[in-house]
Amino acid sequence: MAYPQPTTPTMRPAPAQAPHPGQGFRPQQQHPGQQQQQYPSRPGTPGQQGGPPGGVPPMGYRPPVNGGHPGQNFAPRPGMNGPGPRPPHPQDPNSPMYQQQMRRPSAGGASLPPSPSMRPPMPIGSQMQNGSPLQRPPPLGGAQRAQSPMMRPAMVQPGSPGMGRPFQSPQIQARPPPQQFMGQGQNTAPGSPAMNPMGYNAGGPPPNGSIGHPGQNQSQPPTPKMPFQQQQQQHPSQPPLQQQQQQQPQFQDPGVPALGPPTPVAGGSHKPKRMYPTAQPEAFQENAPSAYDSGFNGGFQPAPVPGAPAAQGFGGNQMPSGGQQGSQFFVPGEKPSPNFGQAVPAYQQGLQPLAGQPLQPNVNQLTNQMGDMNVGSGYGFNNAQGGASLSTVALMGVAPKVLDLESPPPTINLPANSSITQSPHANCDPSYKRSTLNAIPNDSNLLKKSRLPFGLVITPYRSVKEGDEPVPVVTDAIIARCRRCRTYINPFVKFVEGGQRWKCNMCFTLNEGKFVPSSFDYDTQTQQPVDRWQRKELNHAVVEYIAPTEYMVRPPQPLVYLFVIDVSYPAIQCGMVATAATTILESLDRIPNDEGRTKIGIITVDSSIHFYNLNNESGEPKMLVVSDLEDPFLPQPEDLLCNLSECRPTLEALLNRMNDMFKDTQNVGNALGPALQSAYKLVSPIGGKILCLQASLPNLEAGALKMREDPKLLGTSKESTLLQSASSFYKTLAIDCSKSQVCVDMFLFGSQYSDVATLSCLPRFTGGNTFFYPAFTAAKSEDALKFAHELAEFVSQRIALEAVMRVRASKGLRMSAFYGNFFVRSTDLLSLPNVPRDQSYSIEVSYEDNLHIPIVCFQTALLHTSSSGERRIRVLTLAIPVTTSLSDVYLSADQVAIATLLANKAVERGMNSKLDDARDALTNKCVDILGVYKTHMTASSSGATPNLQICDNLKLLPLLTLGMLKHVALRGGSQIPSDLRSYAMHLFSTLPSQCLIPYIHPNFYSLHNMPENCGTIGQSGIEMPTAMNLSSERLERGGLFMLEDSQNIFLWIGRDAVPQLCLDLFGVPNYESIRGGKTTLPTLESDFNQRVNLIVAKTREMRRSSYYPQLYVIKEDGDPALRLWFLSHLIEDRAEPVMSYHQYLGHLKDKVNSGSF
Amino acid sequence: MSAEAMVFLFGVIVGAALLFVKVFFVILISDLEVDYINPIELCNKLNQFVLPEMFVHAFLSFIFLISGQWIATAWNLPLVAYNANKVMNGKHMFDATEIFRTLGQHKKECFIKLGFYLLSFFYYLYRMILALVNDS
Repeated sequence: MAYPQPTTPTMRPAPAQAPHPGQGFRPQQQHPGQQQQQYPSRPGTPGQQGGPPGGVPPMGYRPPVNGGHPGQNFAPRPGMNGPGPRPPHPQDPNSPMYQQQMRRPSAGGASLPPSPSMRPPMPIGSQMQNGSPLQRPPPLGGAQRAQSPMMRPAMVQPGSPGMGRPFQSPQIQARPPPQQFMGQGQNTAPGSPAMNPMGYNAGGPPPNGSIGHPGQNQSQPPTPKMPFQQQQQQHPSQPPLQQQQQQQPQFQDPGVPALGPPTPVAGGSHKPKRMYPTAQPEAFQENAPSAYDSGFNGGFQPAPVPGAPAAQGFGGNQMPSGGQQGSQFFVPGEKPSPNFGQAVPAYQQGLQPLAGQPLQPNVNQLTNQMGDMNVGSGYGFNNAQGGASLSTVALMGVAPKVLDLESPPPTINLPANSSITQSPHANCDPSYKRSTLNAIPNDSNLLKKSRLPFGLVITPYRSVKEGDEPVPVVTDAIIARCRRCRTYINPFVKFVEGGQRWKCNMCFTLNEGKFVPSSFDYDTQTQQPVDRWQRKELNHAVVEYIAPTEYMVRPPQPLVYLFVIDVSYPAIQCGMVATAATTILESLDRIPNDEGRTKIGIITVDSSIHFYNLNNESGEPKMLVVSDLEDPFLPQPEDLLCNLSECRPTLEALLNRMNDMFKDTQNVGNALGPALQSAYKLVSPIGGKILCLQASLPNLEAGALKMREDPKLLGTSKESTLLQSASSFYKTLAIDCSKSQVCVDMFLFGSQYSDVATLSCLPRFTGGNTFFYPAFTAAKSEDALKFAHELAEFVSQRIALEAVMRVRASKGLRMSAFYGNFFVRSTDLLSLPNVPRDQSYSIEVSYEDNLHIPIVCFQTALLHTSSSGERRIRVLTLAIPVTTSLSDVYLSADQVAIATLLANKAVERGMNSKLDDARDALTNKCVDILGVYKTHMTASSSGATPNLQICDNLKLLPLLTLGMLKHVALRGGSQIPSDLRSYAMHLFSTLPSQCLIPYIHPNFYSLHNMPENCGTIGQSGIEMPTAMNLSSERLERGGLFMLEDSQNIFLWIGRDAVPQLCLDLFGVPNYESIRGGKTTLPTLESDFNQRVNLIVAKTREMRRSSYYPQLYVIKEDGDPALRLWFLSHLIEDRAEPVMSYHQYLGHLKDKVNSGSF
Repeated sequence: MSAEAMVFLFGVIVGAALLFVKVFFVILISDLEVDYINPIELCNKLNQFVLPEMFVHAFLSFIFLISGQWIATAWNLPLVAYNANKVMNGKHMFDATEIFRTLGQHKKECFIKLGFYLLSFFYYLYRMILALVNDS
């Protein structure tokens, strides 16, 4: 439907949405009852839920609960917790029952459930016969999960490799049945030919003729690959390629095939399976060169013929592999453009999954320190063809490609066989953990030279939405750790000596004895041998262990929620108390209470502290008032915290009555400090969560705060004092809380100054969260809705309790600075009394020593108690290759992670010293990066250049930097109240990248002329329009535009909007009758209205966060404050203190040209 | 024993005490670095010595001042001023939440003060002996 501006027929649906396929928002009309997700998607009224439409008083707003289905309410809500969390044990994929099911087939080689089915059905006998029970079958494992549909055909015809596969390559079919080298065969069989294109071309006998053990072959991938083979048919003359493709999911060891028929060396090179006796170095040093000679050279260098189809073939392959592995590993066909510069990365990506033949030699080269631009090195491959400069883009004079903000980070090009199982999940998904550099400089000088920030962005406890893969859980309490550095066993360790020992990938200690539990190979309970290669911790980078008692200092604590609610006059006045009471009441069913252990308590506070005895016979809550604020005490030792299931009626009675009890209060005193002290006393024996709902400035006794906002300070260098804590009380209390595993969350409602800076100290050091609702009034249904939604989401989150987090890194690296909400308990140990979902932590890494290893690993371990009362350890392992070349470092830098880390550092700086410093630091970092790139990576190493150049993967960094400079958190000027600034800073340091990037650089859509399919339900959920550049040039007089920054949604409507549009969207006759400001879109019959409503609903759903973006309608000639607020998001424009994007680039260029790097 | 000898005897005793306090600081801070102690305990332990140390040092300087030991006074004055400045800005205490960020600074300061007290100690000792020798 096109309003004044006709729809461009060629316009395509937003590709920007591609990266979110997994989250596919589906409105509930489609799946009634299946999803009890969020209100926005309540049937039929996606945009309207908020407004109790029929004049229901906003106070009575009921949060989204599944009323009437008490049983259901406890079920993990798909959006929140993912399938991981437990109550219904039988369904739990991780429960032992299920595990056994899964395991048996693989061990016995019997029937094949979907994912493990991919496992070669290798009879136990055959393992034994080979003398090595450890023999590892083909590394299919989880890898194939995604592909299983495709693979399935293979399963039907076991034992007959060629049968029924018309397209099967002759080589494979002709494979003679192997006898002895079965271990090798398992892994290499199919790979070998691929690896040795030369040999095949030459028509010689298949070098690995011995490979195809029949028993294994049946499960070998060649069969499943039919779809690819069909593609391949066009190149019958290139059998090697075909095979290469077939191999692709297998991650063949490139080294082996090159060596021809199985020799000891070949055996040695086959690390994962047979290599135990052979030490790693051998594989690298002896085999690699030969692999390099024959495989690599043969395949790529001399022969342009195979090369060309190879590129094609890879292109074809890429999609499936990308899909299979998640976005992290391969960017599915990012740029299949003819452009040479871009083709190269694509080529490289395609190459990588194949086993990265070039990489193997590479490692060698790296270790040989052969200089940085050699053909042999992984990236060098790229460089050899001018890769570095090829992807250079000019920044000035072109509009930034904002769509690329959503593209996945640069691929991590690990050398082949770096993970022992070759599982596609062996490396960590960027949504859990990402590094600013996906190739790490081998010494600190190189890093210094590159001037890129080096750090990790970790979101260990991110929520698992529908469609995401749940975190696998190791349930058998076998936890193998390095005896020296305590690293958990992971896919990047090496087994040696027949699997009797493993070599830690962090400190290279050999672990034996109890450090390789025998239960890896034998299950004492079922008396069955088990296959260690199936173990989840060897196949997955993100894994959770159920921890045995050694990991507990006390029995796992129950969940405790203690609400501290402000009931002074301002709180009652703005309707906070009523809304909160209703919300809590409605959310009682959603509070995690799996084992009936959850405890709940309520304290209200004005100038005295009111406790409630919720556990008495009468079923009536009893109020106990303590007015001694100097030395607050608990009026009775127990029953103030009560079991949620047991005293539910009392609790409901209290919540129902809460607003009435205080509705006539005139009390303006608020003793938050003493109330928190008593709350702490109440909760500290157990630990838990204190949710503090505060609508006025605490003004009595300890912790009293003054109104300290001074407009004269704003915009001066003293401003940062307003961003620091005003009272040490809260910091001290936070430390005590942290010690007792108590977490404090703040919900702040300010009609006036609320001192967010001071009060957010508590959440900051206790792993909590702060929510801020400026000018809150429940009379506005939108305000009430937002708060109710966020509170309801927040209390129903399945959080982790009493957690500690530690990040270990390979020898030579050290975690040097930590940013986020936690307490640093020792040099590398973070203590988090609670881990809320989707909170992000940034860590800076520094060098202690030079790195002489091919791969660096970072392992994050989060020891926590899950909300279902289990002690668990979540382990995230990220492996990144080491490089000696500056261009590799640049080519692999991840602008999103860099922006996240820089945002955290800037906030830190802004709070502790001056905002000016923070801004300068950001700009200087940008200048440094551009300058170094110019000097070392482009032809014009010195002197002035007319344009700024940077590699493709960093091209949006200047834009993001500018976005931060113009953001409320860091923008200069005297207009920004310190509360808002503090809150924005809080968000900067806690939001995961997925939300932080739009928060810095909002998404901007044009709705009036969006293509027909936008706002309708497509294949990946609701189709979104294409994001545009954030420039007011894009605004049109008669247009309708939407801008969203993950916290707010703005609908901008031009003053010449045609009446039809107003009627269709708002149901009002013309532009004049549209009401601006916070609003809820009506739900109308018109198609356009429904589409916009869906887009808004999707925007609220699509990210992993509990924030509920509020909708504002901005009229072009409406309230100037709102308009300015909206316009301040258009960061490519000039906004007074800060330059426009192009001016900023000019400024950067001048600095780059005048500096020396 | 002359007044001068008495003053410096007092200086020697106080100087030794300050020296011990600083050594204690340094030991605890190194303990924190190797994770033998957690930051909360560290801060609780150190903070109770911070103000007494400054007060004792200021008192010693005052004694030097009223006893007319100008050189000793001048030697100590900068540190008194530095401490006073810190107290006035409220930055004298160890903050458990910031400790790892500021550890380097604290350590540096501790070592400098340690050196300062060591020099002072020997100077006071020398002056005391000198005074005693002159007496006799």
